[in-house]
Amino acid sequence: MIVAERKPLEQISSMIESNNKILIVGCGECVTVCSAGRKKEVEILASALNMVRSKEGKPVEIRQETLERQCDGEYLEQLRGFIGEYEVVISMACGAGVQFMAEKYKNSLVLPALNTKFIGVTEEQGVWSERCHACGDCKLHLTGGVCPIARCSKSLLNGPCGGSANGKCEISPDLVCGWQLIIERLSDLGQLEKYEEIIPINNWSTNRDGGPRKVVREDLRL
Amino acid sequence: MRLNYPSNVKIIKVPCTGKVDVIHLLQAFERGADGVYIAGCLEGDCHFLRGNLRARKRVEYTKRLLDEIGIGGERLQMYNMSAAQGPRFAEVAREMTERIMTLGPNPIRAKKGEAEMETG
Amino acid sequence: MNKEEIKNPASDKKVGAVMVVGGGIAGIQASLDLANSGYYVYLVEKSPSIGGVMPQLDKTFPTNDCSMCILSPKLVECGRHFNIEILTNTQVEEVRGEAGNMEVSLIRSPRFVDEDKCVGCGVCAEKCPVKVKDRFNEGLGERKAIYIEYPQAIPLVYQIDRDHCRYFIKGKCRICEKLCKNEAVNFEDTEKRYALKVGSIILAPGFELFDPQLKGEYGYGVYDNVVTSKQFERILSASGPSMGHLERPGDKKEPKKIGFIQCVGSRDLQAGKGYCSSVCCMYAIKEAVVAKEHSGEVEPTIFFMDIRAHGKGFDDYYKRAKEEYGVRFIRCMVSKIVEMPRTKNLRVTYINEEGEPVEEEFDMMVLSGGLTPSEDAGALGKRLGIDLNQYGFCETSQFSPLSTSRAGIFVSGVFQGPKDIPETVAQASGSVACASGLLSESRGSMVKGKEYPLETEVKDISPRIGVFVCHCGINIGGVIDVPQVKGYAESLRDVVYAEEGLYVCSQDFQELMKKAISEHNLNRVVVASCSPRTHEPLFQETLRETGLNKYLFEMANIRDQCSWVHMRQKEDATEKARALVRMAVANARLIQPLEELSLEIKNKALVIGGGLSGMTAALSLADQGYEVYLVEKEAKLGGVLHDVYYTLEGDDVQSHLREIIERVEADPSIHIFKGTMVVDFSGYKGNFETGLMVGPGMFYRKLEHGIVIVATGGEEYKPVGEYMYGEDERVMTQLELEKRISNDTPEFSNVYSIVMIQCVGSRTEERPYCSRVCCSEAIKNSLKLKELNPNMNICILYRDIRSYGLMEEYYTLARKKGVKFIRYDLNSKPGITVKDGALKVDIKDPALGEDLSLSPDLIVLSSAIIPKENDELATLLKVPRTQEGFFLEAHMKLRPVDFGTDGMYVCGLAHSPKLISECISQAYAASARASTILSQERIHVGGVVATVNGDLCAACLTCVRVCPYDVPVINEEGFAEINMAKCQGCGSCASECPAKAIDLQHFRDEQILAKCNALLEEAV
Repeated sequence: MIVAERKPLEQISSMIESNNKILIVGCGECVTVCSAGRKKEVEILASALNMVRSKEGKPVEIRQETLERQCDGEYLEQLRGFIGEYEVVISMACGAGVQFMAEKYKNSLVLPALNTKFIGVTEEQGVWSERCHACGDCKLHLTGGVCPIARCSKSLLNGPCGGSANGKCEISPDLVCGWQLIIERLSDLGQLEKYEEIIPINNWSTNRDGGPRKVVREDLRL
Repeated sequence: MRLNYPSNVKIIKVPCTGKVDVIHLLQAFERGADGVYIAGCLEGDCHFLRGNLRARKRVEYTKRLLDEIGIGGERLQMYNMSAAQGPRFAEVAREMTERIMTLGPNPIRAKKGEAEMETG
Repeated sequence: MNKEEIKNPASDKKVGAVMVVGGGIAGIQASLDLANSGYYVYLVEKSPSIGGVMPQLDKTFPTNDCSMCILSPKLVECGRHFNIEILTNTQVEEVRGEAGNMEVSLIRSPRFVDEDKCVGCGVCAEKCPVKVKDRFNEGLGERKAIYIEYPQAIPLVYQIDRDHCRYFIKGKCRICEKLCKNEAVNFEDTEKRYALKVGSIILAPGFELFDPQLKGEYGYGVYDNVVTSKQFERILSASGPSMGHLERPGDKKEPKKIGFIQCVGSRDLQAGKGYCSSVCCMYAIKEAVVAKEHSGEVEPTIFFMDIRAHGKGFDDYYKRAKEEYGVRFIRCMVSKIVEMPRTKNLRVTYINEEGEPVEEEFDMMVLSGGLTPSEDAGALGKRLGIDLNQYGFCETSQFSPLSTSRAGIFVSGVFQGPKDIPETVAQASGSVACASGLLSESRGSMVKGKEYPLETEVKDISPRIGVFVCHCGINIGGVIDVPQVKGYAESLRDVVYAEEGLYVCSQDFQELMKKAISEHNLNRVVVASCSPRTHEPLFQETLRETGLNKYLFEMANIRDQCSWVHMRQKEDATEKARALVRMAVANARLIQPLEELSLEIKNKALVIGGGLSGMTAALSLADQGYEVYLVEKEAKLGGVLHDVYYTLEGDDVQSHLREIIERVEADPSIHIFKGTMVVDFSGYKGNFETGLMVGPGMFYRKLEHGIVIVATGGEEYKPVGEYMYGEDERVMTQLELEKRISNDTPEFSNVYSIVMIQCVGSRTEERPYCSRVCCSEAIKNSLKLKELNPNMNICILYRDIRSYGLMEEYYTLARKKGVKFIRYDLNSKPGITVKDGALKVDIKDPALGEDLSLSPDLIVLSSAIIPKENDELATLLKVPRTQEGFFLEAHMKLRPVDFGTDGMYVCGLAHSPKLISECISQAYAASARASTILSQERIHVGGVVATVNGDLCAACLTCVRVCPYDVPVINEEGFAEINMAKCQGCGSCASECPAKAIDLQHFRDEQILAKCNALLEEAV
């Protein structure tokens, strides 16, 4: 899933300093699972903003909505009837949702409430960590299912750098060296010979370096 | 035990402090409560195993949020006590009331009055 | 409730009612289990209220739970149960008739307060001019001459103490009578005699603490600061005479050095107490720990002979007391205590471990008094014609520990022998299974059901709220302006009716309430009065009688949380009462009737494990009329009992075992699966499904059943590699010795010397628990060997001899017969060598400080008891285990055989090491607990449970992870599902759901926020 977390309250409240009618829109997809942007969080944000403003003697009117997904137009359409009544819209979706809403509603000011962090997994209740870099050219079959692009701080493709010590990355003693993980995994699988194989220089054009990306399935297009 | 405590303390019953949600606490302040405290079972003694531990974490989170809002996290408190600790209950009620008196009224409201939540 | 009337059911049939004598924890548990499995119960208690000793205790070991907190729900349930009639101030005089059909004569002494009229408001006691030393506080506090024993007392009815009442002494006063607005005081009350018919009787009369005045050398009753352990409990208790402040009674100073003397009236032949009281070591350790928690300054010292921490988790507690809390343990008896005249401190003389006499001063001394059967219980036993032992405990046998010598009369608790709370509770449930086995044909014949009118549909009808405000005599009315609060209630939205009453809970007001509900079409009811803790069920009952769902009720607590605690601020109190009523009304607007789903029950039982415990449970269930599936992993029934040949008391174990196996195999209700494994498991109480691979062909079989009893047993640890076990055939375990003694007695005529080593594999780093039975096992085998060869030289090397309870007598006997007991420390374990083919044991005797060398012919290791391999089963059944691999019960103290999951039980060695008689008691207990479910036709689930709105659910798994009971699952449709039958109603999932898709019924977010808003409405 896409993992996100709420921006500091101060940042959000400063974005809406001069506004009095606000719509907060939650999203029911990834940000629900990482507890950042569905009904519960929408309610908390609304209540907090209310208090910030009441305290300053500048009360605001806040409406709360939660959509199934903000990355699909049909769902965004559900706001059509009333979105125009609000001076600003605070989206509690990932960056994609915020932008798509802004695209859809040209006259509305759409603001982000979340910082979109990464594509990751729930390690345990309340803990999420990064797994995928969305590089566009998956190499997991070569590396025992552990991604060298996402898990190695330097995205190295052929073994650890000199900064790997005691299985930890030089960036932080809490961070396991991605290549340590790959080697351990390959050895568990009895495929250590794969470690000997040289992975060719990466073609980063499928990554962000090739500019904004797009996927088209002609067979599915209507 | 009929131990006297300040009458501005009023109790909302919940089956377990594990039921107390962040939004309950926030809305109490939003509506003008000067202070809120949660009285849970002693740690390790939760009738529902770990509800009071979950409540403590949510209270910690809400305290930070209240600080961000500018209401002040110290207006919110979690206490643990057993049903047999009548004197402790009265002591906490007094302690909390004194704390709130020192802090003054909830900044989003001028008049006085406090609300508290507690387990049943 | 007309107690004079003799209940007279058809005389040829057994009577479906049971009398429980004694209202302590044993009596309470027995009553609840009986009433919940289809029997009518008369709970007879000689004092004014039930509860026994537990309400007096501060904490309980080894969990340090608050004693009152864990007892209170059971008290309340007992008090309000339809099928439990509590007869206080009552004693049994005589029993006539046979098992199944008995007539019991009772004497009830006068209370002088009418139980039906008194509402427990306490105005009488407040104004009563006479102060009396309070028995509940062990004489350390005071109560009035009209009193209740403690605030949570059941029944909550006052009583006049005739010996101290001014009217009874001087003929003048009667203030209480004048004050009681309900006219409950009745000075003309007299002693009443009457008789009741029952099918069986369970005796649970409890115990008294040994009177320490009989041990004059400790100065109890003479020195101010020498107290009994029970007095010390009261001093520690938050509800005690010093409000939980640790102070010594003499001068209210906080004591620093506190000494505890063990075995006061236990293990003391001079005092006529040849037994060990089993619980004093642990309660003294607990009191020392709790005192230390009160004040870090306290320095507790415990003077003891052996520390007997033989229960589950006890040794660990002992270790923590020593290592974490710094409790000092001195292995020595104190010869005398002398009070220092000026300081009132106490000088204690004892011999230290180095053998030198020491004098040390303490601020306070606590005497750990032993448990003795009460005199009343002894007299009762004699009147009933049941056999008592020399100490006055009820005589029972190892294989039927719950049966007295008179058929139909069963026993539980300390009256059967000294024991702690969990064993007492297990025996209480166990005795229920015995009574139920006897009376099963009459189950359900005397219980009272109740017919209620059909529930009125209120779901889509706008709320019509009635508010009833109580004066509670002057308890509320004297502080709060009740008419004003009533007037205010009338002004609130949706309130269509409001009324005030002197006692809203009184019978006549309840009638008035019913009338108001029907006349004004009320569909929500708010009562502003005392406390839901005591009164909610009563009002809910009234609602049901008028056809309203019981959840349409809400209470504003304006007494316990208002008038009582703001007595001196009358105006503020009235203001607060208004707010509380406003909040209650706001909630009442939103409350919804809740349906309880009724599910059919599979009235069959699954017992896993065919050893002694499993077979006993199966037989008991069959006797109670249920079909049983008994699953045994091995090819034959009997388990580890095949290796035991005789008991300490001399029973022939193998013949008992043969008889039990024969009975099980012959019982048509018991289906036995030998050589069979459990391979899958699902469901919830009343409706479980279990898959078996049935031997020897290993075919698959699916069973449906309503309950599960886990009795997978334990075995003797084989200490390979320790003390040359497995290397020299002259080194063996106790069970191996026992087998050799039984099979080949002549062998032992050539054995002259035996060394036994205790705690092999127990109380070690790896296995920190005590195996409980090895001390008595060693004593048992020594006595047997001495019988075979009186000249045999037997040495038992031990750390603490734990011959708890009546087994102490055999320890004494063994010493008398010349068995030598030599202590060793864990850090200087005995060393074993072989020299010229002869065994040699080297040991350092800490008592003498000398190195000893022994040359035995045989070495016998008292090896630990370990659980049978059970990890796969635990995973399948999703039940927890201790670190050592024993199954973990729901609550160490009060639910000793229940798992946390309803409908699942554990007993025997699978639970923890224990004796044969204890396994049997637990097996019966599990059977009785199971019967509380199996005896029902249907179970009702639902009410205050969490429900999911599938449309909102994102299947994020938060609830699945958060639930402490593992209830939510993501279903095939992709949203969370919470099984009503399993949900405990804590609401943790609801408050964590990021999608707000879960609501806890009756405490929905909407309701909590409405209350919050109503409270603050006037503030904004």
